[in-house]
Amino acid sequence: MEKSFERDFRSLGDIFAFTDIFVEVHGFEESLRYAVNLVIEELFTNMVKYNTGGGHPIEIRITVRDGHLRIELIDDDVDPWDPAQVPEVKLDRPIEERRAGGLGLYLVRAIVDELTYEYKNRQMKVTAIKNLERQNV
Amino acid sequence: MFEARLAGDRLQLIGRLDASQVEVAREAMNRLNASGVIDFGELEYISSAGLGMLLGIQKRLMESGGTLKLINMNRHIREIFRMAGFDRIFVIE
Repeated sequence: MEKSFERDFRSLGDIFAFTDIFVEVHGFEESLRYAVNLVIEELFTNMVKYNTGGGHPIEIRITVRDGHLRIELIDDDVDPWDPAQVPEVKLDRPIEERRAGGLGLYLVRAIVDELTYEYKNRQMKVTAIKNLERQNV
Repeated sequence: MFEARLAGDRLQLIGRLDASQVEVAREAMNRLNASGVIDFGELEYISSAGLGMLLGIQKRLMESGGTLKLINMNRHIREIFRMAGFDRIFVIE
Protein backbone atom coordinates (compact mmCIF):
# COMPACT_ATOMS: atom_id res chain seq x y z
CA MET A 1 0.00 0.00 0.00
CA GLU A 2 1.18 3.53 -0.65
CA LYS A 3 -0.25 6.99 -0.23
CA SER A 4 1.01 10.57 0.03
CA PHE A 5 0.20 12.92 2.90
CA GLU A 6 0.53 16.68 3.36
CA ARG A 7 3.59 17.50 5.46
CA ASP A 8 1.63 18.64 8.47
CA PHE A 9 1.07 17.06 11.90
CA ARG A 10 -2.66 17.31 11.14
CA SER A 11 -2.17 14.56 8.55
CA LEU A 12 -1.68 12.02 11.37
CA GLY A 13 -5.40 11.21 11.56
CA ASP A 14 -5.45 10.30 7.86
CA ILE A 15 -2.18 8.37 8.25
CA PHE A 16 -3.63 6.27 11.09
CA ALA A 17 -6.73 5.57 8.96
CA PHE A 18 -4.40 4.41 6.18
CA THR A 19 -2.35 2.15 8.48
CA ASP A 20 -5.52 0.77 10.09
CA ILE A 21 -6.63 -0.54 6.69
CA PHE A 22 -3.23 -2.19 6.17
CA VAL A 23 -3.30 -3.72 9.66
CA GLU A 24 -6.82 -5.08 9.13
CA VAL A 25 -5.97 -6.57 5.73
CA HIS A 26 -2.96 -8.38 7.18
CA GLY A 27 -4.68 -9.41 10.42
CA PHE A 28 -2.01 -7.85 12.64
CA GLU A 29 -2.57 -8.06 16.39
CA GLU A 30 -2.97 -4.93 18.50
CA SER A 31 0.67 -4.76 19.59
CA LEU A 32 1.82 -4.73 15.98
CA ARG A 33 -0.78 -2.08 15.09
CA TYR A 34 0.73 0.08 17.84
CA ALA A 35 4.26 -0.53 16.56
CA VAL A 36 3.34 0.36 12.95
CA ASN A 37 1.55 3.55 14.00
CA LEU A 38 4.40 4.63 16.29
CA VAL A 39 7.16 4.00 13.75
CA ILE A 40 5.29 5.87 11.01
CA GLU A 41 4.32 8.79 13.26
CA GLU A 42 7.87 9.27 14.54
CA LEU A 43 9.47 9.09 11.09
CA PHE A 44 6.79 11.28 9.49
CA THR A 45 6.92 13.99 12.18
CA ASN A 46 10.74 14.02 12.02
CA MET A 47 10.51 14.68 8.27
CA VAL A 48 7.99 17.47 8.84
CA LYS A 49 10.16 19.04 11.56
CA TYR A 50 13.63 18.66 10.11
CA ASN A 51 13.41 18.32 6.32
CA THR A 52 13.58 21.83 4.92
CA GLY A 53 12.98 22.67 1.29
CA GLY A 54 10.31 21.64 -1.17
CA GLY A 55 7.11 21.40 0.81
CA HIS A 56 5.76 18.46 -1.20
CA PRO A 57 3.56 15.73 0.31
CA ILE A 58 5.41 12.80 1.94
CA GLU A 59 4.83 9.35 0.46
CA ILE A 60 4.37 6.37 2.79
CA ARG A 61 4.72 2.79 1.53
CA ILE A 62 4.01 -0.30 3.64
CA THR A 63 4.59 -3.87 2.47
CA VAL A 64 4.93 -7.34 3.97
CA ARG A 65 7.25 -9.87 2.40
CA ASP A 66 8.95 -13.02 3.66
CA GLY A 67 7.90 -12.42 7.26
CA HIS A 68 9.18 -8.86 7.32
CA LEU A 69 7.30 -5.58 7.47
CA ARG A 70 8.85 -2.83 5.36
CA ILE A 71 7.92 0.82 5.94
CA GLU A 72 9.28 3.50 3.60
CA LEU A 73 8.81 7.26 3.78
CA ILE A 74 9.88 9.33 0.80
CA ASP A 75 10.32 13.09 0.92
CA ASP A 76 11.10 14.87 -2.36
CA ASP A 77 13.01 18.08 -3.02
CA VAL A 78 14.40 18.55 0.49
CA ASP A 79 17.73 19.71 1.89
CA PRO A 80 20.09 17.08 3.34
CA TRP A 81 19.60 16.23 7.03
CA ASP A 82 21.78 13.94 9.07
CA PRO A 83 19.78 11.75 11.50
CA ALA A 84 23.01 11.20 13.44
CA GLN A 85 22.56 14.79 14.71
CA VAL A 86 19.54 13.70 16.75
CA PRO A 87 20.46 13.89 20.46
CA GLU A 88 21.41 10.64 22.18
CA VAL A 89 18.85 9.37 24.70
CA LYS A 90 20.32 8.44 28.09
CA LEU A 91 17.85 6.32 30.01
CA ASP A 92 19.89 6.17 33.20
CA ARG A 93 19.94 9.93 33.78
CA PRO A 94 17.81 11.49 36.56
CA ILE A 95 14.72 13.38 35.46
CA GLU A 96 16.48 16.74 35.76
CA GLU A 97 18.86 15.66 32.99
CA ARG A 98 16.34 13.86 30.76
CA ARG A 99 15.41 15.63 27.52
CA ALA A 100 12.57 14.88 25.10
CA GLY A 101 14.80 15.35 22.03
CA GLY A 102 15.73 12.15 20.20
CA LEU A 103 13.15 10.04 21.99
CA GLY A 104 11.08 9.29 18.89
CA LEU A 105 14.00 7.95 16.86
CA TYR A 106 15.21 6.04 19.92
CA LEU A 107 11.83 4.25 20.16
CA VAL A 108 11.80 3.51 16.41
CA ARG A 109 15.27 1.94 16.63
CA ALA A 110 14.11 -0.18 19.59
CA ILE A 111 11.08 -1.47 17.67
CA VAL A 112 12.48 -2.17 14.20
CA ASP A 113 15.37 -4.41 13.13
CA GLU A 114 16.82 -2.13 10.44
CA LEU A 115 16.60 1.61 9.91
CA THR A 116 18.32 3.25 6.95
CA TYR A 117 18.36 6.77 5.59
CA GLU A 118 19.21 7.48 1.94
CA TYR A 119 19.64 10.90 0.35
CA LYS A 120 19.98 11.25 -3.41
CA ASN A 121 18.93 13.90 -5.96
CA ARG A 122 17.31 15.97 -3.19
CA GLN A 123 15.11 13.04 -2.16
CA MET A 124 15.25 11.61 1.37
CA LYS A 125 14.08 8.07 1.85
CA VAL A 126 13.91 6.34 5.21
CA THR A 127 13.33 2.58 5.35
CA ALA A 128 12.38 0.66 8.49
CA ILE A 129 12.29 -3.15 8.41
CA LYS A 130 10.79 -5.27 11.16
CA ASN A 131 10.88 -9.03 11.59
CA LEU A 132 7.26 -9.95 12.26
CA GLU A 133 8.25 -12.84 14.53
CA ARG A 134 9.93 -10.51 17.01
CA GLN A 135 8.16 -9.18 20.10
CA ASN A 136 6.23 -5.95 19.67
CA VAL A 137 5.21 -3.19 22.07
CA MET B 1 -9.73 11.46 18.19
CA PHE B 2 -8.31 12.72 21.48
CA GLU B 3 -9.85 14.31 24.53
CA ALA B 4 -8.56 15.40 27.95
CA ARG B 5 -11.10 15.74 30.77
CA LEU B 6 -10.03 17.44 33.99
CA ALA B 7 -11.96 16.92 37.23
CA GLY B 8 -10.20 18.32 40.30
CA ASP B 9 -6.65 16.94 40.36
CA ARG B 10 -7.54 13.98 38.11
CA LEU B 11 -7.04 14.20 34.35
CA GLN B 12 -8.55 11.56 32.09
CA LEU B 13 -6.94 11.01 28.68
CA ILE B 14 -9.14 9.49 25.97
CA GLY B 15 -8.26 8.24 22.49
CA ARG B 16 -4.98 8.73 20.63
CA LEU B 17 -2.39 11.18 21.93
CA ASP B 18 -0.22 11.85 18.88
CA ALA B 19 1.91 14.84 17.88
CA SER B 20 -1.12 16.70 16.50
CA GLN B 21 -2.93 16.51 19.87
CA VAL B 22 -0.12 17.33 22.28
CA GLU B 23 -1.15 20.96 22.76
CA VAL B 24 -4.67 19.87 23.74
CA ALA B 25 -3.18 17.63 26.45
CA ARG B 26 -0.61 20.24 27.53
CA GLU B 27 -3.29 22.89 28.00
CA ALA B 28 -5.25 20.56 30.31
CA MET B 29 -2.15 19.48 32.23
CA ASN B 30 -1.00 23.06 32.75
CA ARG B 31 -4.08 23.47 34.93
CA LEU B 32 -2.65 20.93 37.41
CA ASN B 33 -1.05 22.88 40.23
CA ALA B 34 0.96 20.80 42.70
CA SER B 35 0.21 17.14 42.02
CA GLY B 36 -2.17 15.22 39.84
CA VAL B 37 -3.42 11.83 38.73
CA ILE B 38 -3.44 11.05 35.02
CA ASP B 39 -5.90 8.31 34.13
CA PHE B 40 -4.75 6.39 31.04
CA GLY B 41 -7.68 3.95 31.19
CA GLU B 42 -9.22 5.12 27.91
CA LEU B 43 -6.01 6.17 26.18
CA GLU B 44 -5.22 3.86 23.26
CA TYR B 45 -1.93 5.31 22.08
CA ILE B 46 0.85 7.72 22.94
CA SER B 47 3.96 8.64 20.96
CA SER B 48 7.19 10.44 21.85
CA ALA B 49 5.43 13.80 21.51
CA GLY B 50 3.13 12.92 24.42
CA LEU B 51 5.99 11.43 26.43
CA GLY B 52 8.04 14.62 26.01
CA MET B 53 5.09 16.73 27.09
CA LEU B 54 4.59 14.58 30.22
CA LEU B 55 8.30 14.90 31.02
CA GLY B 56 8.01 18.68 30.92
CA ILE B 57 4.92 18.70 33.16
CA GLN B 58 6.58 16.35 35.65
CA LYS B 59 9.65 18.60 35.85
CA ARG B 60 7.47 21.66 36.44
CA LEU B 61 5.47 19.96 39.21
CA MET B 62 8.60 18.59 40.90
CA GLU B 63 10.05 22.10 41.14
CA SER B 64 7.09 23.01 43.34
CA GLY B 65 7.28 19.78 45.35
CA GLY B 66 4.54 17.96 43.45
CA THR B 67 4.43 14.96 41.15
CA LEU B 68 2.27 13.09 38.66
CA LYS B 69 0.77 9.67 39.29
CA LEU B 70 -0.14 7.69 36.17
CA ILE B 71 -2.84 5.03 36.45
CA ASN B 72 -4.68 2.40 34.36
CA MET B 73 -2.20 2.16 31.45
CA ASN B 74 -2.80 -0.52 28.84
CA ARG B 75 0.09 -2.94 28.34
CA HIS B 76 1.25 -1.36 25.06
CA ILE B 77 1.57 2.11 26.56
CA ARG B 78 3.25 0.64 29.65
CA GLU B 79 5.79 -1.03 27.37
CA ILE B 80 6.49 2.27 25.58
CA PHE B 81 7.10 3.90 28.98
CA ARG B 82 9.48 1.06 29.87
CA MET B 83 11.36 1.34 26.56
CA ALA B 84 11.74 5.11 27.06
CA GLY B 85 12.95 4.66 30.64
CA PHE B 86 9.95 6.66 31.82
CA ASP B 87 8.96 3.92 34.28
CA ARG B 88 11.91 5.21 36.35
CA ILE B 89 10.75 8.81 36.49
CA PHE B 90 6.99 8.44 36.96
CA VAL B 91 4.88 6.75 39.57
CA ILE B 92 2.86 4.23 37.54
CA GLU B 93 0.07 2.23 39.17
